[in-house]
Amino acid sequence: MARAAVVGAGMTKFGVHDKPLQELFAEAALTALEDAGVAPPEIEAFYFGNAMGGQTENDTHLGPKLATHVGMAGIPVQRFEDACATSSNAFKNAVEAVEGGHHDVVLVGGVERCTPKTGKDTAEMTRIFGSASHRQYEQPTGLTFPGVFALFTKRHMHEHGTTERHLAEVAVKNHGNGSLNEKAHFGKSTSVEEVLDSPVVADPFRLMDCCPFSDGASAVVVVSDDLADSYDAAVDVAGVGHGTDIVPLADKETPHVTIAARNAASEAYEQADTTADAIDFAEVHDCFTGAEVLASEALGLVADGEGGPAAADGTTARDGEIPINASGGLKAKGHPIGATGTGQIVELTQQIRGDAGTHQLDGVERGAAHNLGGDAATTIVTVMEGR
Amino acid sequence: MMSDGLTHGEWSEAVADGELLGQRCPDCGAVQGAPKAACPHCGSTALETVALPTEGAVYTETTINVPPAGVEERGYQVVVVQLGDARVMGRLRGDAVGIGDRVALSDSITDEDGYVAPVFEAV
Ligand SMILES: [Zn+2]
Repeated sequence: MARAAVVGAGMTKFGVHDKPLQELFAEAALTALEDAGVAPPEIEAFYFGNAMGGQTENDTHLGPKLATHVGMAGIPVQRFEDACATSSNAFKNAVEAVEGGHHDVVLVGGVERCTPKTGKDTAEMTRIFGSASHRQYEQPTGLTFPGVFALFTKRHMHEHGTTERHLAEVAVKNHGNGSLNEKAHFGKSTSVEEVLDSPVVADPFRLMDCCPFSDGASAVVVVSDDLADSYDAAVDVAGVGHGTDIVPLADKETPHVTIAARNAASEAYEQADTTADAIDFAEVHDCFTGAEVLASEALGLVADGEGGPAAADGTTARDGEIPINASGGLKAKGHPIGATGTGQIVELTQQIRGDAGTHQLDGVERGAAHNLGGDAATTIVTVMEGR
Repeated sequence: MMSDGLTHGEWSEAVADGELLGQRCPDCGAVQGAPKAACPHCGSTALETVALPTEGAVYTETTINVPPAGVEERGYQVVVVQLGDARVMGRLRGDAVGIGDRVALSDSITDEDGYVAPVFEAV
């Protein structure tokens, strides 16, 4: 028996969207509802993610605002904030709510606008993203988020011999994948040379190792297991694991091991009665190329220390042994913070249904999504399977 | 038994005076570089304030070229330093360092809201 099922999925293109949050969100939400064949009044509760609307556009208490805009005023709405893992946490709570019998049909989604074109400039956005690091024991050093993952990745390079070229190979793979995905922020391929020639943001990361600031929205309709068969194309939520870790990062036992991801993955695999070996494909949180290396190892998809070589030798390519980020990942598909988590759920749903269009993988039945927040101190891993 | 309650204010004053305070857990032995109300490993509230060594080895580091709003300089190095059983994050001043290099606390900096960070230099 599945914990829940996704019966409808929708997302906007990730990129630049010069429209208010409610209009951006409606595009994803109404697509998800239509996909499910569900009318707005049938939704019993709304689980919503937005990380930074208060800081970026002075827009808070978004839950009822968005619900009103899409015809759902009056139902319980809860908003989640866990930095970049915001909407995965909304999803986890929605799964628990239908599994526990509190609701039968719920909407989960996220929206965020982060592009300098529609909001604040790069320096200001860098400061706002940095608010997820410890206010007293990290931010005063001038630490940025590329810096956080640079600290992890440098140590990983030191211990495992991961190279800047390995990191560049992750970017090349994900840009190639993104070029096949019409919803991706970046539509063009790149080369190792182009990545290694781009300016350094926080070493070892160059501009082309970093995901973009994106605007976008994503949404899914989640129903209880016993209702799932009455929908056309249900995909099972077999497991959702949720781990956290110590902040600040200097106090983590072994920061680059990302223990929260390992704990979340074990929990999700156990619920799904599966193992890493049985996962056909994965979407992982590659906010920086090094983050994909850490995540693919933490999920057990490749051995520790092999995350970089796996990207370089094609193991994680879309036609490889374990395709990782066939959507383009955050690196190329884009990263509209609060929409990223449910964006991964949309991707898993479409791939498992065989609905992913131009970037469809061959014969995938079981996928994993890994979405982290902050310095990976929140990580949620979801396993989905064909029903 | 309650923690002797190392506060952010006390930690900051110590940094400004050239000292680093941390916390040792009497129950599990873990040592933390940033003050907490309880041990993150075992939950003990009996944490003891300890003076950390001010010299140690770089655990990891990065050089930040795209700073957040409010930071004027570019190309500054942020380091995580292993100081005995604890680690502490700080800013590096002077010659660049790599993982394993020895550094020592040399100064502190204060951000726009008055929060301090330790500054280390190569030794
Ligand atoms: Zn303890």
